[in-house]
Amino acid sequence: MMARLIVPSFFITIGIVYLVLTVNLPRSRTGDPTAPLYFPLIIGSVLLLFSIIYFVQEWRKRDEKFEAFKALFVGRAPFIIVSTLIMIFVYTFLFERIGFLFSTIIFLTALLFIVNGRKPWIKNILISVLFSVVFWYAFSELLSVSLP
Amino acid sequence: MGVDFQSFIEGLTTAIQPMNLLWVLIGGFLGTVVGMLPGLGPATAVAVLIPVTFGMDSTSALVLMAAIYYGAMYGGSRSSILLNTPGDGSAIAATFDGYPMTQKGQAGQALTISAIASLIGGTAAIIGFTLLAKPLASFALDFGPAEYFLLLVFTLSAIVSLSKGNMIKGFISMSIGLMLSTVGVDLQTGVYRFTFDIPQLSEGIDFLVVIIGVYAVGEVLYNFLSIDDIKNKKSKVGKKGITREQWKRSKWPMIRQGPIGFLIGILPGAGGSIASMLSYTTEQQISKHPDKFGKGTIEGVAAPESSNNAASVGAFIPLLTMGIPGSGTTAVILGALIMLGLQPGPLLFEDNPETVWTLVNSMFIGNLFLVVINILLIGLLVRILDTPPKILYPLILVLAFIGTYTLSYSIIDFYILVIFGVIGVIMKLLKFPIAPLILAVIVGSDMEQNFRKSIVAHDNFMNVLFASPITITLLIMTVLSIAYPFIVEWVKKFKQGRA
Repeated sequence: MMARLIVPSFFITIGIVYLVLTVNLPRSRTGDPTAPLYFPLIIGSVLLLFSIIYFVQEWRKRDEKFEAFKALFVGRAPFIIVSTLIMIFVYTFLFERIGFLFSTIIFLTALLFIVNGRKPWIKNILISVLFSVVFWYAFSELLSVSLP
Repeated sequence: MGVDFQSFIEGLTTAIQPMNLLWVLIGGFLGTVVGMLPGLGPATAVAVLIPVTFGMDSTSALVLMAAIYYGAMYGGSRSSILLNTPGDGSAIAATFDGYPMTQKGQAGQALTISAIASLIGGTAAIIGFTLLAKPLASFALDFGPAEYFLLLVFTLSAIVSLSKGNMIKGFISMSIGLMLSTVGVDLQTGVYRFTFDIPQLSEGIDFLVVIIGVYAVGEVLYNFLSIDDIKNKKSKVGKKGITREQWKRSKWPMIRQGPIGFLIGILPGAGGSIASMLSYTTEQQISKHPDKFGKGTIEGVAAPESSNNAASVGAFIPLLTMGIPGSGTTAVILGALIMLGLQPGPLLFEDNPETVWTLVNSMFIGNLFLVVINILLIGLLVRILDTPPKILYPLILVLAFIGTYTLSYSIIDFYILVIFGVIGVIMKLLKFPIAPLILAVIVGSDMEQNFRKSIVAHDNFMNVLFASPITITLLIMTVLSIAYPFIVEWVKKFKQGRA
């Protein structure tokens, strides 16, 4: 029932933490010592104010069902999202170690298997290799963008 | 008039150089393709394709980005008409009559009229741009820090109040964006703020990574949630040529709505979405057959298509003359421009007149190209639309990573990219508007610098607010923009009460 209050509470917490961090910022040695604090103090206060209003809005709706995150748990969605995120971390790990071309082929193949399914496996592999080579050629050779 | 003819001719000469023509063609085509993909709009198209501009000179890069932008505006309406799935907000109005036309077997005619309408709207707007940009840039030279600060406040409030969803959520989104802009070394005093001793954060969070993260990665991840539900609908295009009667019916709506769309595009916050919806409703109101709207009438496609394209050109006026992006897409372009070493603002017209006028001329040429691409290649474009999103989205994700890596050649940015991608998904699920966040991240630092300079110049905050007639006007506009949704709501309730 109270799930909908988690989001506004989170923003209220961010606002408070940001304001505390702002107050504790080091003072400037040149000019007005508190000058770097002014703007963050205003932003933190604005965030806090609107987060509290948001909290009140959500509190009024507390008896209504909160279904914002429902889409995350339907069908293959959790599998696809979690696998994609894992693959992104693997890609990040491999990117500079084995170079753009091979890491991208691996990443794209895995991603296509996850999203497009295992059945069209030849298509998945062909597309991965072809597009990785095209991306690599277009950026490295045509646009002179250096890739590892 | 404010047209600088010598610069205009120089710009035309540069715009028709073969390489620039090629960039316009490539940009227009790529923009059309990305803008056409359901769920991806012009902002994503520009964000994803930013790396294509690396290594180019700034004028060509600007020409290319503009082409991607209005190419994506064209593309958005392709999927509206063929699949009833708008690429972004400004293409929604095209679904009202465009899709019913497709159902009646008139998709080809709807696509043709949308391309012609876009050309007419775009051309009207380019004429407006040519006449208005220079005087506005001269006016902007009168702006001091206090005026700039309040202009940015107004822009942010306008974006918040006009962006879809709850206004409170818009302000929260904006505050988070401003918070992100304060991370890093303070430019005036050298004080480290919110860096948590992480060296990579000392230069702040690169707003382009935020943009690519939220718009590209976020959109792709969000679309992954319903990837199995996206059906590949094959559409029959039918006849491309429009009849004399169809032309007669759509001619005036296109001509009327172009200038209106342009003027709406100039206003911060109001962009293609508002322009196209307003055009659609006004045409329906003045039509002799309002009952035909929504059932596949050709003027229902022509009017919004003309005005949303004009609005996209209009949006370049505040962007180039004052450095104020009025929408998520122009914010992305501003970010890319700054990265390319171009500082939009009144001095851009003094320092780089050729760049500005090359852009203007290239927009005209680009619109012509796009009509040709969009009419001649209807068959090919439809086939691209038939390519399964299950294949296209992973490719877009790879493009996002290439773009991010090439910004600073740092793998750390990949993590920041993913974090903002996830934030983008969560924001979409919670229905938080994204444009205020993006805009705030980009203008936040400028806003703070102008705020602090104006405080020093005018002693205290109240004096800043009432520093000049311009600041007072902007203050009033800010209050009005915040009050606007409440006024609309009140008028609606009042009307309902009377009925």
